[in-house]
Amino acid sequence: MKSLFGLSFLALSVTLLCGQTATYKPPRMADGHPNLNGIWEAMNTANWNLLDHPASAGPMWELGAIAAVPAGQGVVEGKVIPYKPEAAAKQKENFKNRRTDDPEAKCYMPGIPRANYMPYPFQIVQTNRDILFVYEYATSNRLINMGKPQEAPSDTWMGTNNGRWEGDTLVIDVTGLNGLAWLDRAGDFASDKVHIVERFTRTGADHLTYTATIEDPSVFTKTWTISMPLYRKVEKDAQLLEFKCTEFAEELLYGKYKKAK
Amino acid sequence: MNVRLIASITLLAAGTVTAQSPKATYTPPKTPWGDPDLQGVWPGNMGVPMQRPVALGARTTLTNEEFAKKQEQALRQAKADSESTAASDTKPGIGPPSYWTERGKPTRQTSLIVDPPDGRLPALTPEAEHYRKEAKLPGEWRGKADSPEDLNIYYRCITRGLLGSVIPVVYNNGNQILQTPGYVVFRNEMIHESRVIPLDGRPHVSPAIRMYLGDSRGHWEGSTLVVETTNFTDKDAIGSNGAGYPGDPGYHSDQLKVIEKFTRTGPKSLDYTATVIDPKTWTKPWTMLIQLEKDDSYQIIEYACHEGNYAMGDILSGAREAETKKDVH
Repeated sequence: MKSLFGLSFLALSVTLLCGQTATYKPPRMADGHPNLNGIWEAMNTANWNLLDHPASAGPMWELGAIAAVPAGQGVVEGKVIPYKPEAAAKQKENFKNRRTDDPEAKCYMPGIPRANYMPYPFQIVQTNRDILFVYEYATSNRLINMGKPQEAPSDTWMGTNNGRWEGDTLVIDVTGLNGLAWLDRAGDFASDKVHIVERFTRTGADHLTYTATIEDPSVFTKTWTISMPLYRKVEKDAQLLEFKCTEFAEELLYGKYKKAK
Repeated sequence: MNVRLIASITLLAAGTVTAQSPKATYTPPKTPWGDPDLQGVWPGNMGVPMQRPVALGARTTLTNEEFAKKQEQALRQAKADSESTAASDTKPGIGPPSYWTERGKPTRQTSLIVDPPDGRLPALTPEAEHYRKEAKLPGEWRGKADSPEDLNIYYRCITRGLLGSVIPVVYNNGNQILQTPGYVVFRNEMIHESRVIPLDGRPHVSPAIRMYLGDSRGHWEGSTLVVETTNFTDKDAIGSNGAGYPGDPGYHSDQLKVIEKFTRTGPKSLDYTATVIDPKTWTKPWTMLIQLEKDDSYQIIEYACHEGNYAMGDILSGAREAETKKDVH
């Protein structure tokens, strides 16, 4: 009994010490790169607020605790989003108007990085050429070009995504974002000048570590980074379903134009 | 020598295969994990009507004269499009300026529908006839606009439906096939849909789960990808230019089952067929064929339909404005 306890304690401390273990050997594709295929989802409150936050009432008292905000520990390294003063004011204004102004309320595409930590799963489809990210929310998706880097042909919600491997880490350089998406329900935002570098690393059979470095001199005084684990949906029958939310947002967007009954 | 002779006969045969029976005489390359490789961008090609003109009867291809005429028209149209500018397109109207429009490359195919042999939709069931009359389904080009629900699901930027997403439309006809072990993804530019299709033989999701694009399962039959889709809603339609346009197949029931086949017929060609089985709507199944041509220079660009749907607010507020005018007079 005692020795068994000792053994499991040892195993536990090894796990704790290694954390995101460098010794984890990811499964690989035929081309030798780590295989990131799977259905992934964040398990945190970043979509409510990237920063540390206590529980609070939601933007609609009518929904009671259903729309309340769960408390959460933040995902921002250094615990601060380095807004310029005028941008900080805009974030506060966004927060005040979040019920109607958050693009999520309108069922608009989530943009990057928000798509990766919304409370909906997404699937990484890694081909022998490019990599497709398919998000359940609003059927948004983005193709990661693994070939010759390409300049953004146009500003879009999901950006122009150029990927490359740095060792076993998938690095995605995101430009051409239109700046209309928010970063969370708290009104955090960036502009269309933003440049994001994302990193996806397999750290276990069912875990990815995700970081995104956000650079936008028009909004922030310096570059900042968010970091979080992503979890694999391990259910045997896991698959993306459909969350076409447009029709859920029509009353909010067009109700004022409807014919009075 | 013999091998070569056989190969050229096979090629010859492939060239004369009729629209109804595409034969997989071409062996596509394999992915590193051994599946037939269908990957690439396969844009849709406008210009083939959904239903065949009655006068053509059972004829699946145009004659040389008919085809020459079609090509001539296409040339004239291309010239007109290239001369068109934003300035000349400023007169009010519905639809995009002509220089946005993808007209496609003329083909000899006389209709997308290849079965029944007359290239026309089979009769509706009495139940469906009744439903379409009574339910006053949205879909009129300019119908009433009391609320967004009065407009079809394409206008609402919800979806064009599973078949609508493949049927060529006025622009943004990109289709892309991507593969990874155990999955094929069929991605459509309009309206940024991606169907992730499992190939592992798992059962469909519960009938309680209904989706606009349904629930797809795929398997290989030789080099052909066969995809069976069920679990549809009864809220979407099959349309050649979106959902529920007049003259198009229109609404289906939640009993719809679609069997799609993707067969590469050459290095740059793929036959896409879809068999539509919905005994509550049509008296017999029907099949359409879309011949896709690979174009890896075609770049799929995000089509933010709902995000840019100014038309919806304009249509509704315009309708309200028209009502106030009516009241005055």
